[in-house]
Amino acid sequence: MSISENTTTAAPITFGERSFLSGFGPSNRKVFPWVLMAPTLIILFAIGIFPFLYSLYIAGHNFILSKPYIPRFFVGLYQYQAVVQDPEFWHALRKTLIFTVEAVFIQFWLGLGLALLFQRQLRGIALMRVFILIPMILPPLVAALIWRYMFYPGAGLVTYYVGGITRALGLGEIPFLSNPTIAFQTLVFVDVWEWTPFMFLMLSAGLASIPRQPYEAAEIDGAGSWRVFWTITMPLLRPAILIAVIIRTMDAFRTYELIVIMTRGGPGNATTTLNVFLTKTGLEFFDASKAAALSLIMMMIIVVMSFVFIRVFRSKTEVAE
Amino acid sequence: MRKLSYSIESPAVPPRQRNWWVYLLLAVVCALNVLPYLWVVLTGFMDGASASAPTPQWLFTPSLEAFQFLIVDKGILKNFFNSVIVSFSSTFLSVTIGMFCAYALARYEFVGRDDVSFWVLTNRMMPPVAVLIPIFVIFQTVGLLDSLIGLIILYTAMQLPFVVWMLTGYFRDIPRRYEESAMVDGDTWFAAFRKVTLPVMMPSITATAIFVMILSWNEFAFATFLTSNNAKTMPPAVMAYSIGADIRWNVLGAAVVLITAPIILFVLLLQRQFISGLSQGVVRK
Repeated sequence: MSISENTTTAAPITFGERSFLSGFGPSNRKVFPWVLMAPTLIILFAIGIFPFLYSLYIAGHNFILSKPYIPRFFVGLYQYQAVVQDPEFWHALRKTLIFTVEAVFIQFWLGLGLALLFQRQLRGIALMRVFILIPMILPPLVAALIWRYMFYPGAGLVTYYVGGITRALGLGEIPFLSNPTIAFQTLVFVDVWEWTPFMFLMLSAGLASIPRQPYEAAEIDGAGSWRVFWTITMPLLRPAILIAVIIRTMDAFRTYELIVIMTRGGPGNATTTLNVFLTKTGLEFFDASKAAALSLIMMMIIVVMSFVFIRVFRSKTEVAE
Repeated sequence: MRKLSYSIESPAVPPRQRNWWVYLLLAVVCALNVLPYLWVVLTGFMDGASASAPTPQWLFTPSLEAFQFLIVDKGILKNFFNSVIVSFSSTFLSVTIGMFCAYALARYEFVGRDDVSFWVLTNRMMPPVAVLIPIFVIFQTVGLLDSLIGLIILYTAMQLPFVVWMLTGYFRDIPRRYEESAMVDGDTWFAAFRKVTLPVMMPSITATAIFVMILSWNEFAFATFLTSNNAKTMPPAVMAYSIGADIRWNVLGAAVVLITAPIILFVLLLQRQFISGLSQGVVRK
């Protein structure tokens, strides 16, 4: 809105003497923005679009990085077919979806709970906020290393103290990283530890931007806090929820360091998500073409997911308004 | 009425009395979030014997053995400075370049503006591992493998969408009058931008830069596969010394201290900018 106003009220701009270049200068309101954006667009094209097109090209051929002497030829859609027919792909897709949904769901509710607690007037709130944010500030690599150590049999704090309790109860050691089911949940736990602070931060910002009039009105009407939460806080928080959940979903979907460092996709293939499967295919088996096809399929899944998210949330937000 | 005056301080939830259980709960959460990191940091200052003792040693005589191993024997400072160079340069470049793009998106009305803005953002959706292989092949062809320049270009491109996204929101908040009055006084567009817009934007630019710098500092996947000896940055170096058949826990701890020290310092010093920078994206959209 304000932009169109600005455009009409803009002062006449002079750009020194008239020269050939001044045709692209600030006085040309049609062309000048493109001049300003050019460096960004060129770089993004070079590092974003070009690799994407190149991926398409590789996926249509038979590149094996470890065997460059094999003649390369066009194979059509063979690589995509190879991916879709690979049971490992479906296994990884399922694991990825379960991981993403479970982790983001838990993070959302914990983060929201924390954000609501921080609405209160508490002593030492600034310091507590910094403490709570520490896991997300750490490099993901470090978070993974820390918990690998914590859960390491015979060395970690968790295995020592929790193991002490379970041994006393006669349950023996808990195989945090060596039992397929438990290892998967351990990874979810670490992801929740690492990224709940992010949800907390995003939702806190969202809560802070909610106007207070609706609450006063509800107070006068005598609405209970549970009803206030569901009828006022949640609908007004929706835009913040949308962004926080989309960002987290996209990131959880491609979780990398955590899994590679803590379990390398194991035991067996219990924690092999798409990203790990992709890394194995491309950088351990050097099957670049199949990996490229897989990465394009992954990208499509992510784009479709965020599109659906935005659609669902938009329609609901409009109804709420 | 009394209740109403409370809700002015705290809009979303009308606070009841300050309950002791809230403090208890938050104390537990804080402990859970800080303790694992703290323990690993402590381990970094242990000698080999205390670090590998079967029971956790909360009291120990501090030792710099692990740091000596990493710095003197392994020369990790080279990786440290590689990381410093790469994250500073890519932050500087992405903020400088992205700033103009954000300005154009915020200030001008032109055909395709929304498309450009959306397209820039979609560049962030790609999983890094997905573009890794084409980029590996391209870098191999161009000779940018294992070079700082390659990493700087890559990180600049990776951070640009984020920079543009955040700064566009900030630019929209600055009234256009400021620049216009400067230009009416006879300044060129660039002089007005430099003298008026830039100073007003400085806090937002700083917040963005901090955030982007931390992302570059932490980047792992590309750094691991695109560098080997020359340009290896901290994340792959730390990984190399912290994982393996003969793990030394105090070395892992020391490596974690070295890679996290700058970030923790940064965040503690610039806490407010960091938090506002992180949360801006949500509030303005």
